[in-house]
Amino acid sequence: MFATRSALLSSSRLLSKKTVIPAFQIANKHTLVLVRHGESTWNLENKFTGWYDCPLSPKGIEEVTEAGKLVKAAGIAPDVAFTSLLKRAIRTCFEVLDQCGRVWIPVTKAWELNERHYGNLQGLDKQETVDKYGKDQVLIWRRSYDIPPPAVDKTSEHHPSNDPRYAGHDFPEEFTESLATTLDRVVPYFEENIVPELKKDQTVMVAAHGNSLRALVKHLDNIDEATILELNIPTGVPLVYELDENMKIIPNPKGMAPLRGEYLGDQDAIRARIEGVKNQTK
Amino acid sequence: MTSITSKTSELPFANLLKACMAPAAEGPYTLVLIRHGESEWNVENKFTGWYDCPLSPKGVEEVIQAGKLLKEEGIKPDVAYTSLLQRAIKTLNHVQEETGTMWIPVTRAWQLNERHYGGLTGLDKVKTVEKHGEEQVLIWRRSYDIPPPPATADSPYHPANDPKYANLNFPEEFTETLKTTLDRVLPYYESKIVPDLKDGKVVVIAAHGNSLRALVKHLDGIDEETIPNLNIPTGVPLIYQLDGNMNVIPSEQAIAPLRGHYLGDQDEVRARIEGVANQTKK
Repeated sequence: MFATRSALLSSSRLLSKKTVIPAFQIANKHTLVLVRHGESTWNLENKFTGWYDCPLSPKGIEEVTEAGKLVKAAGIAPDVAFTSLLKRAIRTCFEVLDQCGRVWIPVTKAWELNERHYGNLQGLDKQETVDKYGKDQVLIWRRSYDIPPPAVDKTSEHHPSNDPRYAGHDFPEEFTESLATTLDRVVPYFEENIVPELKKDQTVMVAAHGNSLRALVKHLDNIDEATILELNIPTGVPLVYELDENMKIIPNPKGMAPLRGEYLGDQDAIRARIEGVKNQTK
Repeated sequence: MTSITSKTSELPFANLLKACMAPAAEGPYTLVLIRHGESEWNVENKFTGWYDCPLSPKGVEEVIQAGKLLKEEGIKPDVAYTSLLQRAIKTLNHVQEETGTMWIPVTRAWQLNERHYGGLTGLDKVKTVEKHGEEQVLIWRRSYDIPPPPATADSPYHPANDPKYANLNFPEEFTETLKTTLDRVLPYYESKIVPDLKDGKVVVIAAHGNSLRALVKHLDGIDEETIPNLNIPTGVPLIYQLDGNMNVIPSEQAIAPLRGHYLGDQDEVRARIEGVANQTKK
């Protein structure tokens, strides 16, 4: 009585629109937003976390809610998101998207975006490990480019073969990671899965971890091995990159060297926080 | 453990390999359906449809409880599907949180959305009864194929005005019935969800009253007269076991006409099934 037949949706009428790029939009910028997960309960307890799946602390949740507000205020609307298999990053991803009103976008979870695995240091208190092995050794393990901590074998609860989420992938009998090996799995993933989305004019958000993001920015900003080790990416602060149509970074004048992307938020507070992460084993 | 058949022509390790490799699962398969928890517009007694309102605080509690029930039952989803509407998305998040499955792949699909309520979206249910009469409203709410008046292209509730649906075409005037909802739910279920079940994955679908009605109509062979009045209570996990031919294995605890069973206190569930019927009574 009230509705004509044409108002009813029949599946044949629901066709996908072709993407039309307006003629005036010649030089497309592509936006990539990186967010390191907020403070986790193990950050709070100053433990080596790696692939251990601890949640965000209450402060961490606040941090990433704030991050979401900053992304929204910057007028950035992610179309697609990538995150790791670890809930502190997954939750970060969700909270940011919730603030932007975009929880409905596709989210892909990938182990390749996980934090660097800390081998048999996972679960150990950072300060106690220093007391045990000495500051220098621990600094090497934490901040060496390619010297990994001691490996875990399959008898360890921290070996990925003992976790069903990694069932689709074969891991070596003895497993540990360095920043170098983290990069070896992050960058190919980025190139194969994330770059194609950027090329399709999708604004991409990546919610990940300190070392997986180090790997990514090392690649994006051509940072050398010595510098990347000292680079601290503060938790819960959106880091925005614009790329041109050739997937080259457009350096942002507000970039804090060596990064060419821009952190969103109070720049002084961010600089102070970048210094803060260094102090966890003093 | 499947039986290992040996053939004389096979390599010596073939049987061992077969035992180690996961075989194509033969069933029974487990499908978990859950209707999102109480939403803010449920509380305000408005026709919601595709309007993207959040869960109410009570709704959040409901679905946390749902997750706990699944955990107690020992059901651990391997893959999840939900709609593009945050009340279902967040319902799923809570279920994942409680079952420790934050990391599983989640697909969000408009095909699992609630039935669109056309021009009734946003209207108060009781006032609509006062305006159009109880019978007419009952027809719109509970008819199988008589549509409510459509939403017009200038309405904020028309999907053309919502970025979630930017890559889809909709008629100028849009509305849905349970029938047209089924027409988009079932093909999606068959093409996307059934293959996951056949792979032996435990699938959870967090969706809506009418999209789930569409699904159970198909699963349980419920007729057109019965299905519009079947109430699926919010936030109560509904478990189906299917055999190798994707036919439902009737549960002894089923509440007819469903053949799946609800988790939780059965008396309370029955009472809640009755409760949904009363939303247009004054």
